[in-house]
Amino acid sequence: MVMAANKPRSGSFSRNFGAASSSVPSIPGLKHGPNGTMLLSSGIPDLDKILGGGLALGSLVMVMEDPEAPHHMLLLRNFMSQGLVHHQPLIYASPATDPRGFLGTLPNPMVSKDDKSRVHETEQEKGLRIAWQYKKYIGEHSSESHRDGKSEYCNDFDLRKPLERHFFSWKQIDCVSLKESADLAAFHERCSSFLSQANQNNGNITGGRIAIQSLCSPQCEYSNREWEMLSFIRSLKSVVRLSNAVAVVTFSPSLVSTTFSIRLQHLADTLVSVKAIPDEDKELAKLLTGYKDMVGLLSVHKVARFNTQVPTILETTTFSMKLQKRRSLVLECINQAPVDGATGSSYASSGSCSGSSKTGSFDF
Amino acid sequence: MAEWICRTLRDGGLEGEHAPALTINDSITCSLGSFVFDHILSQLSSFIDSEKSQSSGIVLVAFSRSPLYYEQLLKSKGYNVSSSTWFKVLDCYTDPLGWKSKLLNSGRIANDSLGSSVTVKLCKNVKDLDELLSLVLHRGKELSVDGKGRFMIAIDSVSEMLRHASVSSVASILSELRSHGQVSSLFWLVHSDLHETRATAALEYISSMKATLVVQPVDGLRGNSASLSLMENNLKRGKFSVHVKRRNGRVRTMVEELYVENSTVNFTPFSTEDEVISQSLVPKVQFNLQLSEKERNDRAKVVLPFEHQGNGKNIQIYDGRKSLNESKGDSEQTCFEKEDSGRGEIIYFRDSDDEMPDSDEDPDDDLDI
Repeated sequence: MVMAANKPRSGSFSRNFGAASSSVPSIPGLKHGPNGTMLLSSGIPDLDKILGGGLALGSLVMVMEDPEAPHHMLLLRNFMSQGLVHHQPLIYASPATDPRGFLGTLPNPMVSKDDKSRVHETEQEKGLRIAWQYKKYIGEHSSESHRDGKSEYCNDFDLRKPLERHFFSWKQIDCVSLKESADLAAFHERCSSFLSQANQNNGNITGGRIAIQSLCSPQCEYSNREWEMLSFIRSLKSVVRLSNAVAVVTFSPSLVSTTFSIRLQHLADTLVSVKAIPDEDKELAKLLTGYKDMVGLLSVHKVARFNTQVPTILETTTFSMKLQKRRSLVLECINQAPVDGATGSSYASSGSCSGSSKTGSFDF
Repeated sequence: MAEWICRTLRDGGLEGEHAPALTINDSITCSLGSFVFDHILSQLSSFIDSEKSQSSGIVLVAFSRSPLYYEQLLKSKGYNVSSSTWFKVLDCYTDPLGWKSKLLNSGRIANDSLGSSVTVKLCKNVKDLDELLSLVLHRGKELSVDGKGRFMIAIDSVSEMLRHASVSSVASILSELRSHGQVSSLFWLVHSDLHETRATAALEYISSMKATLVVQPVDGLRGNSASLSLMENNLKRGKFSVHVKRRNGRVRTMVEELYVENSTVNFTPFSTEDEVISQSLVPKVQFNLQLSEKERNDRAKVVLPFEHQGNGKNIQIYDGRKSLNESKGDSEQTCFEKEDSGRGEIIYFRDSDDEMPDSDEDPDDDLDI
């Protein structure tokens, strides 16, 4: 099956999804995931692959920021743009006085001719000479993952171009400033009403998106009331779980106490962290390939699994974030010295680019 | 590298970007932060005075030192600030909580002049940060003719601000200033050991450049007089390390040595080899693959069982063909030669020290069959 070719090898048995997907009309922006879940895309094709297809509806994704780099904004931008491209309702909150300004930095999906040229490039790079009778299978594979038309599950975003105006249907976008109220109760109300609206959408599931940027930012008055933030996240998680939405929350562990940071990490269904890399570092350039294009590191600590007790075990947990041609975000496995090649965990726990040993071990 | 910081502050941020913000961290062990602050202030003043910068001026928010001090400082550098239009001070030092004016009103004390000719604006309530913000912006607007020019802001000591207001409100005002269209850059001084880690982490979060002053470690070669010179050392020298968050998302770290002489600061590039910061990123190995210096020397001195050691001497090695008598004489010779070159040994430490080396015990003897 063509779909089986895309999935990572998990055993000799693989579910036959063909029957299920043909009976239900495919909803743009959503696809079936394992164990009866529905997935929506994070906006970054590589991240979707790493997380097993995408973000499960009803999950809470937490992104741990590095205070020295704005990479969490890249993740949020792609996430939000993907939602707008698929006309999924979106609520965005940030500590800025005017969060609407961030909407101007959302990227536009890549134009399709650039897409195809990327596929051809990789083929040429590999230098494969495919016999003519096999080319039809290759063509099938590429058309499966890069379908024409607007019903692509996951778009490749061009970070240099702003999102076109016709994607912004203002009724479906809500922006909240986290600074405006002294506590999170009002914001929680807004999230709840947003989710109930998204659920009631004429009985069709469209999938909603909640994007909260820098929850623990010091400008907000509630930022020293850690238990309040924790109970907000807990109730948000329970409300999101019962709905057809995905919530992405970013926070910086350096701004909160260690115990609180660990509690937040445990609350997450999917946990990801981003880290900055030092600039012009010769040692690092020798250690890693492709150091020049790298902008940062992404580590996946937890992947959401619903309706199953089997956890996802990834081959590697640390990936390098690269901007391909400065336009699209690409995640790659790090090629590091083969001494401790088991996981990236020693890398994450011992690395501290800034010299301050605030980054504790994130191992679970 | 301090020049690099000054240039970055001079150039300001791009359109639509937050203004670059520098935080200078110092502590009691190396309390040279105020010197660094003065240095940067005078550097930026020189840029503005010679019109190399696009900013129209500096607004100094003075909390911990009097405006008179700054006027004298800049005068000593050659900038006449009393008649200048590019330097404005917001005085939060003289009467931060409004007590003096209350006493004046009730007639308890006589009015004393500030002694400074720089036109200053008094701030009487530093607890109200919104008012402080508007005062700062107002002063900034006074700097340019049409009130639209960009200006830089220097805050004498954020530690003082944190005395009167909460971390979240201070963080809020600083980020407001950073995102304001007319502010081209700002920098401030903070004494990091006066505050909780949360406060310093919050300030680090908001700023784009962080400069830390630490004690310069000194080789203890001076003997008994070391104690006094250590103290002197700490009062005059320091290590100045800067972390810069760059636009491409990478972090740049630079280190320099700092030397204070007659209230002027000199920066020199770091003399010793800088510790490789990414060493912590190198994956940890179970066993030590590196050799220490002593081990390396010993390894070089070990005599290998080859006939030619590469140093011109031939070493006789017993190859089983000669008779015992002859070999005795030869072995004495080789012993001598070995001593000349110095004994180098490779000592191998077994992993499990409790095991006897090459024990003749047959482990099967334990079986009770």
